Amino acid sequence: MIALLGGCIASFGFFFLPVIELKPNRLASGLPVTLLEIPGDWRYLLLFLLALSPLLLAFLGVRNRRGWALVAVGNLLALLSLYLPALAGGVYLQGAEALFEAGTRISNPRILTSAAIATGLAGGYITLFAGLLDLEASGVSRWARGLAGAAGALLIALLLAGGALDVYSIMVEYHARGEALALRFLEHIVFVLVALAAGLIVGIALGLWASRDAKAEDAILYAVGIIQTIPSLALFGILLAPLARLGDANFLTLAREWLLLAALAIAAALILRRLYARLPARPRQFAMLAVFILALLPLALAAVLSIAFGFEVVLTVLTLPQLAALREATGLALVLFLLLMAAGERLRLERRLPRYRQWRFLPLLLAALGALILLAQAAGALLRQRELAELTMRDFGVSGIGTAPAIIALTLYSLLPLVRNTYAGLKNIDPAIIDSGRGMGFTAAQSFFRIELPLAFPVIMAGVRNAAISLVGIAAVASIIGAGALGDFILLGVNSTSIDQILLGAIPAVLLAVILDAALKLLESLMTSPGIRQA
Amino acid sequence: MIEFKEVIKEYPNGFRAVDGLTLTARHGEICVLIGPSGCGKTTALRMVNRLIDVTRGEILIDGQPNDEFEPEVLRRQIGYAIQQIGLLPHMTIRDNVAIVPRLLDWDESRIRQRVDLLLDMVGIDPSIHGDKYPRQLSGGQQQRVGVARALGADPPIMLMDEPFGAVDPITRAILQEEFLQIQQEVGKTILFVTHDIDEAIYMGDRIALLRAGRLVQYDSPDDLLAMPRDDFAREFVGADRSLKRLHLISVKDSMMQSVPCCEHDATLEEARACLERHHSESAFVVDADGILLGWVEKAALEASQSLSAAMQRAPAASIAVPEDATAREALSVLLSHSFDVTPVIDADGVLTGGVSIQRLQDLVEVPGIHAAGRDGRP
Ligand SMILES: Nc1ncnc2c1ncn2[C@@H]1O[C@H](COP(=O)(O)OP(=O)(O)OP(=O)(O)O)[C@@H](O)[C@H]1O
Ligand SMILES: [Mg+2]
Repeated sequence: MIALLGGCIASFGFFFLPVIELKPNRLASGLPVTLLEIPGDWRYLLLFLLALSPLLLAFLGVRNRRGWALVAVGNLLALLSLYLPALAGGVYLQGAEALFEAGTRISNPRILTSAAIATGLAGGYITLFAGLLDLEASGVSRWARGLAGAAGALLIALLLAGGALDVYSIMVEYHARGEALALRFLEHIVFVLVALAAGLIVGIALGLWASRDAKAEDAILYAVGIIQTIPSLALFGILLAPLARLGDANFLTLAREWLLLAALAIAAALILRRLYARLPARPRQFAMLAVFILALLPLALAAVLSIAFGFEVVLTVLTLPQLAALREATGLALVLFLLLMAAGERLRLERRLPRYRQWRFLPLLLAALGALILLAQAAGALLRQRELAELTMRDFGVSGIGTAPAIIALTLYSLLPLVRNTYAGLKNIDPAIIDSGRGMGFTAAQSFFRIELPLAFPVIMAGVRNAAISLVGIAAVASIIGAGALGDFILLGVNSTSIDQILLGAIPAVLLAVILDAALKLLESLMTSPGIRQA
Repeated sequence: MIEFKEVIKEYPNGFRAVDGLTLTARHGEICVLIGPSGCGKTTALRMVNRLIDVTRGEILIDGQPNDEFEPEVLRRQIGYAIQQIGLLPHMTIRDNVAIVPRLLDWDESRIRQRVDLLLDMVGIDPSIHGDKYPRQLSGGQQQRVGVARALGADPPIMLMDEPFGAVDPITRAILQEEFLQIQQEVGKTILFVTHDIDEAIYMGDRIALLRAGRLVQYDSPDDLLAMPRDDFAREFVGADRSLKRLHLISVKDSMMQSVPCCEHDATLEEARACLERHHSESAFVVDADGILLGWVEKAALEASQSLSAAMQRAPAASIAVPEDATAREALSVLLSHSFDVTPVIDADGVLTGGVSIQRLQDLVEVPGIHAAGRDGRP
């Protein structure tokens, strides 16, 4: 059934919609070309056949064979939908002069991908999906299915890398702007990851608090819900003034004030703890609120500083050429650790090698050490230009526009799914499990890290995936306030009505979302105990 | 040894769940806490390992107040098993049993040995089930693992809150019996909560009957059944308490040595004389080795030419009870045959004595002098 749909979409596109569009220059409207108009070449016939074949294959009886056939056709259809029009495009470009009316200004004529390519791709992937469903039903292993599904995409990547699709104007644009794109892409990733990391710390803390404290529960969940309803532009605006002011502040002065505030808050908290049992209910609540507000300011300041500076530092770590060697070594150690973890889980190495549990953390330790040095180096590189006394918060990346407000807004947006899922995950644990843990002598921390967190992990990870994907989207909007990232391309494209630039920004963003989701899913399945994995 | 001294627990809402409890569970005995729902059994139990704080009074463990330990340190020395079992679902069976030893930093090879030993002890084959996860086991198997886990670090004291509460009656009976066997080996001091009087009688060395946070009676099962202190206790142990007491008495302790009996090659006269002597309507027939072959009725003796023609042969197991049966089983056999006496045989089938209805009556009338030790049970 699904295969039929795929076949229909692809065939419809090839019969009725233009595959490419030939434009004489950047601005003039283009000349649409349908597949049928391309001068005879048997290869285009192949596309029609491929597009139609799912319609026949769908009626093939044997499930397993049908599955493989559909997967093959789907992959091929997607691949050729991109590749064959590119060949035709090349031919058209060479004869471009002859195709336009006399007097048309022809400068840098270009080939745009058009609707039929999209329908071809869509049809191909729908067919592929139908095939994968068949294969799943007939018991083909997950790995084989994954490989089969990715084969076409891999080939397309090869084509891209080999320059076979370079006729398309988006590729022309890409070759012109590749370096900027790579940087923007990196910014986008760091953006999302830093916001996610900050959100995770704050979100898990808030979620934990909400799950433990019935009185705070409603307020916390309500507050993070409200944040989500503020439009992102408005949130940027709200953050602009205070962050701009904060950015001008002298670092040392602020640090001194901060220490004072923090000390005050801690002192107040300690005093309250002493008095807590003796205070009547009413004053107790007021006192709690007062301490809370007192603590909020230094906490918020610290959070803003570490988020803004964290972004700068991480970006520097990833881009500064001097750090390349250490960067790679650290990455390697991390990969090694992940492999060891996965291997231990799969092969039950802990059982066979008694010391495995401890040894596998060695690469993690090395990676952590490497990361620490990297961060210190990057921070040093960022701050070295200035005298300590002259440092302002702006030197730490805090400013009214640019990355600081954007990333803080992103962090705030990530809170809802993170808090909600952490809360739900922790709340849903059978109290008898926690009770038996306590009864056996787990301390509160042991209980949290060894029982509650592992049990809530899948639910929390669902929230992390949710947050990550939405952050990829919101991060694109952040370039409005000069935060860079992929949104830059999209904004430029919109301003100059250049579909290529928009796509150049949008496609990596979508890819990033998909890859991030898949990577987090993989992480989740590797780290979730088989005892609680959904069957 | 666990001692409650004037222990009071008042919840923050002012409710007194435990109200002046004084109680001692002696070393190596199972002390059962029983009472109606909400009487404070769980609260009392959880105060021992400080999952709940005592409001007033104190609890001593081997003479030492339990609040002199860090709560976690204390809990690691006390086995804890609950009705909901609470196995950690993300850990394998082995890892679950290894929890307390790991918390105590035992070394891995010792843990491994201990875990497999315990799993074997509770009837879970570690090579088959050891690396499974809790959800892959049945409820009964999970209960067993729960018990093994509570025994994990070989704690001298165990707290068990309706540990067999979540399984069907047949499985529960099996688990109870197996647990008593384990207890014979390990000899822990156990506080055992239940609301099932039969379980209390079967498992307990002593039973503490609670009502609204107060101790109503603390006695051996037999004494509790024989002399319930007040109407509440009487009602709680049930109208069939005499029958329940029979459960506690072994045939060996209650049988009479002399029963009407004759060898299978005796003459009719000899048989008749035997009946006369015992004022009985029937006699048992044994062979030269004393093995029970059947019985003979007075009426049949009159009508027959020889003893072997008059006697009724029957497999010993269907008319007699073994020496290690309970008096209650003897009564059951008595009721289903027309004898005055239930014959008792030893492991070889030799007739060693009998239990009469008169004898059973005497036993339950005299209050509490036949308190049977644990070895008097099946
Ligand atoms: N946290 C609490 N706050 C107030 N009252 C409580 C609390 N926990 C228990 N109670 C009350 O204390 C009483 C004793 O509770 P407990 O759990 O010890 O009963 P129990 O004898 O174990 O009952 P059951 O056989 O139903 O398990 C009950 O009436 C219960 O409602
Ligand atoms: Mg209870």
